[in-house]
Amino acid sequence: MQRRIAILFAAVMLLATSASALVGDPLKLVATSASALVGDPLKLVATSASALVREPLKLVATIPDLADIAQAIGGERVSITTLCKGTENTHFVTAKPSHLVAMSRADALVEIGLSLEMAFVPGLLEQCRNDRLQPGKPGLINTSEGWKALDVPVVLDRKQGDVHPQGNPHMNLAPSGGRQMAERIFAGLCALDPSGKPEYQKRYDAWLAELAEAEKRWSALGAAWKGRKVVLYHKEFDYLAAEYGIDVLGSVEPKPGIAPTPGHIADLVERMRREKDVVLITAVWSNNKEVREIAERTGARVVELPNMCRGVPGTDTWIRMMDLVHQRIDAAFRPATPKEAKSGG
Amino acid sequence: MHAKILLFGAASAALTLPVQAQGAVFQTPGMPRSAAPANPASGSNAGQSTRFDNSFNPALSFVFDGVADQVNADGGDDGVDLSLRVLELAAQAWVDPNAWAYFIAAADEESLNVEEAAVHYTGLGGNSTLRAGRFFIDFGKQMQTHVHELRTLERPLVLRTFLGDEVKGDGVQWDCWTTTGDAGALRWSIGAFRSLLPEAEDDGTSAFAEVAERKSAGDLNATARVTAFHDVGDNGTFQLGASARVIPDYAFAFSPSGDAAVGLDNTVYGVDVTYGWHDDTGLERWTVGGEFLVSTGDVGADVTDVGSDGDPTNDTVAAVDDTRTGWFAFVDCAWNPSHSVGLQYSSTELTDAAGSDASEVEAYYTWQLSEFHRLRFAASALESDLDPDAQRFAVQYTAIVGAHGHGVNW
Repeated sequence: MQRRIAILFAAVMLLATSASALVGDPLKLVATSASALVGDPLKLVATSASALVREPLKLVATIPDLADIAQAIGGERVSITTLCKGTENTHFVTAKPSHLVAMSRADALVEIGLSLEMAFVPGLLEQCRNDRLQPGKPGLINTSEGWKALDVPVVLDRKQGDVHPQGNPHMNLAPSGGRQMAERIFAGLCALDPSGKPEYQKRYDAWLAELAEAEKRWSALGAAWKGRKVVLYHKEFDYLAAEYGIDVLGSVEPKPGIAPTPGHIADLVERMRREKDVVLITAVWSNNKEVREIAERTGARVVELPNMCRGVPGTDTWIRMMDLVHQRIDAAFRPATPKEAKSGG
Repeated sequence: MHAKILLFGAASAALTLPVQAQGAVFQTPGMPRSAAPANPASGSNAGQSTRFDNSFNPALSFVFDGVADQVNADGGDDGVDLSLRVLELAAQAWVDPNAWAYFIAAADEESLNVEEAAVHYTGLGGNSTLRAGRFFIDFGKQMQTHVHELRTLERPLVLRTFLGDEVKGDGVQWDCWTTTGDAGALRWSIGAFRSLLPEAEDDGTSAFAEVAERKSAGDLNATARVTAFHDVGDNGTFQLGASARVIPDYAFAFSPSGDAAVGLDNTVYGVDVTYGWHDDTGLERWTVGGEFLVSTGDVGADVTDVGSDGDPTNDTVAAVDDTRTGWFAFVDCAWNPSHSVGLQYSSTELTDAAGSDASEVEAYYTWQLSEFHRLRFAASALESDLDPDAQRFAVQYTAIVGAHGHGVNW
């Protein structure tokens, strides 16, 4: 009996291993065997061929915003895998098998940094064993390098909630964040693929021109927002508020990442009632019952904003997402129509 | 006088010499080499003037796990209890570019133990890792995890019966993984250990299992695991695994009579399956899974009362050489990061000669107060042919402070 079970177990293990080898990468298996047989001449041919037909750089972007900008600058010289979906909360992303595979094969990882991707990037970096992506290597493109972060904690302890040691990590939601991300991606691609620099430069310039047009649109809307009052759910839109002089009265989360308590909600409601025309800003993931409750008790307008591109329809690029963010905020700040006023928001 | 001058001169010279931070002040010939001192970061320490710089100290953390419970047992121990289940202290850091190390010391109400202390060496190349030291065994999805980190209050009954509540071994393990297509990976591990018997104390009332400290290489205890996981659609992950734990030679002893059954062996096999799904925000999650186990060989031992006078000094021990099976299944639903509920059922054949059965069901609600501490309310019911049936209602509080990690593999 014991022997039969042992044989059965060995068979299961062998089956799983063989299946994996077959399902995995049959071409790689053949190539490895062929290379072992033929040796160096095959490598020589392969190297020569690769010089003629260049493989695109394999990039992994942590969030869709970075994937969009990297694609805009990299064009056909890059192929991109995105880890996080536009609808997800970056603090709760689960690493998946496909993420591990993509990271193990990548030439570069493009990340926001500032610990935004703390939930999934460190584990993947350690497990993927891809030396090209490790800290200090050109394959790790940290787009927040050189960024002046808000809310850098003076004291690091958990009394402050789920704070990030390097400051507020939601740089991708700053109107000026696009320029920062693009600059770092451009520099990173040029370092990895110097021969592609002329093409990257051309595409980078074209993207910056598109951004400049968008910035004019955003400035035109944002000029009227100075001094307007908002309450945020999570501290995602602080950069945007700071850039336009919007007054952030508080947040639904008492501290970053900490669920609201009844006492905190009562205080917040009291503060909001003392002010007029407060807009409650939420992201797709945080438009929940607490937000609805506060809106009901205060009559505040709720505006749901995308927190990453591709999270809601019409935000397939970072610039279009920021267009929508500006349009929705502007609409929320406009005086309520009689119908809206009657319905309370 | 000359001697005093010489001593003073030597002491002054010692203060100006580069010294070893964790070693002796002098590094004289023949002394063991110790780690080089940390390079002071900046400022007044930049001149290498201290050997007490803490820049390279490891990440420290501790875990507090306490339980308050009420047990109703049919004829057994029952009533209310409050207990600190465990206070865990841990430290982890990179040793050099190719190795990182950690230790976990756990204190309960009675003792302080080194639960884990191991080094992960990653310099072998490819996706291989060599782990050496003391660590929890790689068996199924649960046995690498400490009890306080489980979804449930207790580990499934079948795992406790066949393997032990927490099984750690002193040994070495090789781990490796490879890709299987664009959305899958396969991992395997093989380990050799001094002993993988569950921790137990000889209470003098039942047979006590033990493994010889020194043994032939072929008698080392061993584990093996292979597991594959794969994306299922955009929001799902499926994992399948097979594990084995082998104890080639051990003994059961009964201390009051001195009788023992020796030359025993036991192997446990397991096949596990897990499916996880999350919604588009990543906040709502469902996880379902289970494991089927077979324990074969000498699965346990019975003590026979010889003389029937209640005097245990004549009792004999007989190993139970048979095959036992058991399984568990669970479902867990988190409707947001703060709140989750779940149900776990486990059924097993016990390791006595009569082939008794037992089952346990546990339902729980977990309130994650923040990412770093949680409250759990659990109710469980145990039905056993050997022990009194019991119901338990428990509140568990667990707090994690600092960077806590055990090097658990997927």
